[in-house]
Amino acid sequence: MASMAERPDLKVDLGRGLHLRSPVIVASGTFGYGFDAPQVDRAALGAIVSKGTTLRPHEGNAPIRIAETPSGMLNAIGLQNPGVDHVAHVYAPQWATWDLPVIVNVAGDSVDEYVAVARRLNGVPGVAGLELNISCPNVQSGLQFGVDPVLAAEVTHAVRAVTELPLIVKLTPNVTDIVAVARAVEDAGADAVSAINTYVGMAIDVRRRRPIISRGSGGLSGAAIKPLALHAVWQLAAEVHIPVVGVGGIMTPGDALEFLLAGATAVQLGTVNYVRPQAAAEIHDGIAAYMVQHGLTDMRALPIRSVSVLTHV
Amino acid sequence: MSIAVAPAVVLERSVPMAGAVELVLSHPPSAVAVGPGQFFQLAVSAPHTILRRPYSAAWSDPAGGRIGFIFNVVGTGSAWLAARDEGDELDLLGPLGRGFDLEGQRPAICVAGGLGVAVFPGVVQALIARGRNVIVLQGARTAAQLLPASRFPGADVHVATDDGSAGHRGSVVDLFSNLGEGQSGGIDILTCGPTPMLTALIDVAHRQAIPLSDIQVALETPMGCGIGTCLGCAAPRAAGGYFLTCQDGPCVRADRIEWELMTDGFHG
Ligand SMILES: Cc1cc2nc3c(=O)[nH]c(=O)nc-3n(C[C@H](O)[C@H](O)[C@H](O)COP(=O)(O)OP(=O)(O)OC[C@H]3O[C@@H](n4cnc5c(N)ncnc54)[C@H](O)[C@@H]3O)c2cc1C
Ligand SMILES: Cc1cc2nc3c(=O)[nH]c(=O)nc-3n(C[C@H](O)[C@H](O)[C@H](O)COP(=O)(O)O)c2cc1C
Ligand code: FES
Repeated sequence: MASMAERPDLKVDLGRGLHLRSPVIVASGTFGYGFDAPQVDRAALGAIVSKGTTLRPHEGNAPIRIAETPSGMLNAIGLQNPGVDHVAHVYAPQWATWDLPVIVNVAGDSVDEYVAVARRLNGVPGVAGLELNISCPNVQSGLQFGVDPVLAAEVTHAVRAVTELPLIVKLTPNVTDIVAVARAVEDAGADAVSAINTYVGMAIDVRRRRPIISRGSGGLSGAAIKPLALHAVWQLAAEVHIPVVGVGGIMTPGDALEFLLAGATAVQLGTVNYVRPQAAAEIHDGIAAYMVQHGLTDMRALPIRSVSVLTHV
Repeated sequence: MSIAVAPAVVLERSVPMAGAVELVLSHPPSAVAVGPGQFFQLAVSAPHTILRRPYSAAWSDPAGGRIGFIFNVVGTGSAWLAARDEGDELDLLGPLGRGFDLEGQRPAICVAGGLGVAVFPGVVQALIARGRNVIVLQGARTAAQLLPASRFPGADVHVATDDGSAGHRGSVVDLFSNLGEGQSGGIDILTCGPTPMLTALIDVAHRQAIPLSDIQVALETPMGCGIGTCLGCAAPRAAGGYFLTCQDGPCVRADRIEWELMTDGFHG
């Protein structure tokens, strides 16, 4: 255990005033709205990202919604959430009393819906930032916002125009060129990007001759995707100038360090929260121990390549 | 009662019936009050697995410092658990969910199909301790796959087997149907088993005008977290939409379930 004198500073800056005391964030969809999972040590966290929130409440998809796959899991939850009004009226006032920032993950099926949700949350005490989930299909084009740099920029730009809040855009990895999408959202006013959301995958029940997930496909998360996510972060960190938040398959302190060394400013933990609630604290302490061991006093010294991160103020 | 991650040591391993394993573990201190029907998420370290596996506590004896789990091997996780031996350490998250509501004084009928019987030793014991009359109806494929009646002291146990090697030849729902006739109202029914068995039981209840609110079902759905954060364990709600099996269940009153939409998640 590091003594007070040599306890490293784990603070990170995601831009527009979003300063976190720790680089360890819990990922959207794996921590509800922050009220469950009392086993997770809040002191280790820098922020919580909420479940994807839409304009109106959603019931979500019919079961079966999840399936385990080798070292990973598939999910097709279908954005089950109580809608932005409930979040603003009921959850945000409670968040406002916490010493831990809550970032609301925003989802929608049109630019107008994203804008309406962002507008509703602007200036609401307790909401520390927005994370745009652009892996949602656009009803007009049928394409996901996040697979097309033009659509991604359009939704980012429109949301930027109606909110003062720090704006993180969460990238989908299901694209040919993730860097092009990241550049487009950076230019459109994103303060940071998080990478990545889940990879589309599936599993088939051979005995019953049908996909296990009722929707057919689902999003793959967990240890299985870590090398893919890490590579996405490595590519992005060299090409964008805003902070990159690394997410995908992080289970251990070593995994988190790989993302930070690759150039991520912070990391998000997803699937691991279901399995090992103590992981957040272990990862926080593991990063601190690594900093001490390597004589580092600032998180910005971690990346192994020089990256230029310019945070918006 | 607080939910916690806690280590537990395997104290005993046995075979309570053909095809099943019973692990007796040291009782996690945080889990002092395990309600009958509550479950734990057991971590498994089998290669390439990631999620915990949900298991009902078969029984719990916090004073004696012991807790039991009864399960069969259906895949990688359960195979890993079945290979644990005395002295091995397991990692338990729990106790989780809502157990059965045991309030009241009416007679209770426990209807168990297959491995669904695993939840009942503790439930029956708790019902008897409350001075209630208990009938256990247990169904299995063969006599060897029945949990012995000695595991339900004080209860009146009836069995059914698919091959007729013990008790009634046929399903446990037939047993219930014969017994239930004329009893409609005035009994509490607690059940756990494969979805086709549950839906057959609900059909009988409809025919015999047994209110579905008198029936409590211990549901099994796939689970991710077990604590309400992944939203993966949805089951169809009678009022529309879904409830979460891990939080609103696993034990729920049958009138809360939309039986028309109950998919058979596992048992085909
Ligand atoms: C609340 C709850 C309590 C449970 N209590 C018990 C118990 O006391 N005793 C017991 O034996 N089992 C119980 N189960 C079922 C148990 O969780 C599964 O059998 C187990 O997770 C399978 O893990 P596996 O890795 O061996 O199988 P996997 O490799 O994950 O799956 C192998 C096969 O088993 C099937 N399967 C997966 N989950 C289930 C399930 N829930 N039920 C039936 N088949 C399944 C799969 O569809 C697949 O065909 C309970 C489930 C829940 C949700
Ligand atoms: C069950 C489940 C639900 C999720 N829901 C959301 C969501 O609502 N919005 C979102 O942007 N990402 C969602 N995600 C994606 C995660 O936030 C994360 O990007 C992904 O799981 C990869 O990280 P991991 O491998 O650490 O889990 C969800 C993931 C899971 C497993
Ligand atoms: S198992 Fe995750 S919400 Fe129920």
